[in-house]
Amino acid sequence: MKEIKTELVVMGSGLAGLTAAVTAAKKGIKVALFEKRPFQGGGVSNTPMMTMAVRNQVEYLDRAFDTHMNYTNWNADPAVVQAWINNSYRIPEFIKDLGIEFQMVVETPLEKIGAERGYCGGFPNGYNLGDYYFFKARGKGHGAAIICLKAAEKLRELGGEIYFNTAITRFIKDGEAVVGAIATEKGGEEVRITCKALIVASGGFSDNAEMIKEYTGHIYTNNNCDGDGDVLFNTQPNAQLVGDGQNAVWGIGGAKGAMGINGHNLVPGPGIIGNNPWIVYNQTRTMQEQPYLWVNQLGQRFINEAMSNDHMAMGTSITRQPKKRGYLIFDEATKRHMENVGLDYIYHIFPADKLHNVTAQFEELIHVKGNKHVFMADTIEELCAQTGIDCEGLSETLTTYNHYCDKGHDDEFSKNPAFLRPVKEGKFYALRVFKGGYQAMGGIKINGKCEVLDNEFRVIRGLYSAGDCAAGEVFGNPSVGGIGISSISFSQGFVAADWASKYINK
Amino acid sequence: MKIEIKNFCIRCGLCEDLYPELFRVNYEKDAIDILVEEVPEKLMEKARKSAADCAVTAIFLVPK
Repeated sequence: MKEIKTELVVMGSGLAGLTAAVTAAKKGIKVALFEKRPFQGGGVSNTPMMTMAVRNQVEYLDRAFDTHMNYTNWNADPAVVQAWINNSYRIPEFIKDLGIEFQMVVETPLEKIGAERGYCGGFPNGYNLGDYYFFKARGKGHGAAIICLKAAEKLRELGGEIYFNTAITRFIKDGEAVVGAIATEKGGEEVRITCKALIVASGGFSDNAEMIKEYTGHIYTNNNCDGDGDVLFNTQPNAQLVGDGQNAVWGIGGAKGAMGINGHNLVPGPGIIGNNPWIVYNQTRTMQEQPYLWVNQLGQRFINEAMSNDHMAMGTSITRQPKKRGYLIFDEATKRHMENVGLDYIYHIFPADKLHNVTAQFEELIHVKGNKHVFMADTIEELCAQTGIDCEGLSETLTTYNHYCDKGHDDEFSKNPAFLRPVKEGKFYALRVFKGGYQAMGGIKINGKCEVLDNEFRVIRGLYSAGDCAAGEVFGNPSVGGIGISSISFSQGFVAADWASKYINK
Repeated sequence: MKIEIKNFCIRCGLCEDLYPELFRVNYEKDAIDILVEEVPEKLMEKARKSAADCAVTAIFLVPK
């Protein structure tokens, strides 16, 4: 059996793994990074947007910490949250040190932390926690992908080794401490790795249908939501995130940490979304952001639709509905409003002030692309027959909802009256909306030093974890987690490297 | 000219989404298939753009 000896092993080459590896290498630690795929990068390679850093001043740190913990009802682990927030200030310098500039920085003044809904923030209830750094991507590419590439180059410059096509499958313990791992090369040959410490940064489990079913209750499917599937992941296509790290940790007695899918509202393909989240083929993606009437399969409203551009809120609410799906419904008058007056919510990723030829776009999706989640009908009865929405339930909802629109007050959910648009005039349009997962994450229980805990919450010495596989502890329930998870990956990468390096040097 | 993809390509599929005439994600081989051996003149502009749009500068145009 091939043998490799090093001081620190890092499992996974996404943001968390590479941040940890580079940070430890800068401290003079001998690092070997193992990646099962033939190139660097993790799930984040396709989620390019931005990261978040809290200013390193005590009042900013306190306010961000309080905001986040209160948001989770202290369901999150406070030490893990504090470690993330208190180390996040290191992120911008780390990225700049890779030779990468930011496209822009949006600063959050102290009084606005936790007080203003930052649309792209994605942290508690969309509230801003810190300053937002937007990655500068190449061409139409992904900002985080270039960060991973540059970090891999930096790691080699610092003397670290990267083993591609080499999947760590289990860990070796000596007494109570982890002292190595067994990996398998692509050709099938096993490798025995000896180390003083190991950081698991292998990501989530978005590509593992069994784990998704068992730990989130969702049925994994493709980007078209074929069959009975009720969640799709076009954010991290083909990233092979199958929970390797979680299973290896559990295999040596590691405790199961919080798990879930953080995701948004998304109408599946074909004809709408592509392989990755940064391409859309029409304006359906923008339509589904709008705050008009949303109902479930029973025809009942389920959310104050003003939240329709709060991705976490929509994703979480849709999950709670029968068959884990929702519908956006609007009529001819609202269609004309979107075409002629303009949209109520501008979607900053695919911006449009107004929609054009909505009917033609629906016709193409239905008749040319064969999309089964896009509907258009002359009557409500026909719409119910097409969608499977309970007609009695929807009729009842429309009676009360249209009454609210007429009188200008939403008695049920207090929706902003500006968004109260009745559904009266055929044609009627509907989009079937599912949870579009950003990541199925969590599973490894850690403490504030990113040390992995066993079933009795004792530290497994020499074993650390960072990134999506450990991020469940930041939320308590990752399904309500923010979309700006890269901040956690960077920060936990620093923390895991700091403490693993201390442990190695002891 | 022909298209070459460097080994640090992240298989994100952006090239297939933007230029399906030139690229296809091969999920079985975990690779990107290049669909033209030599880039025909009518696709040359798209090939150049694909190099510029690649997330990690993995796409290159080289003499055949």
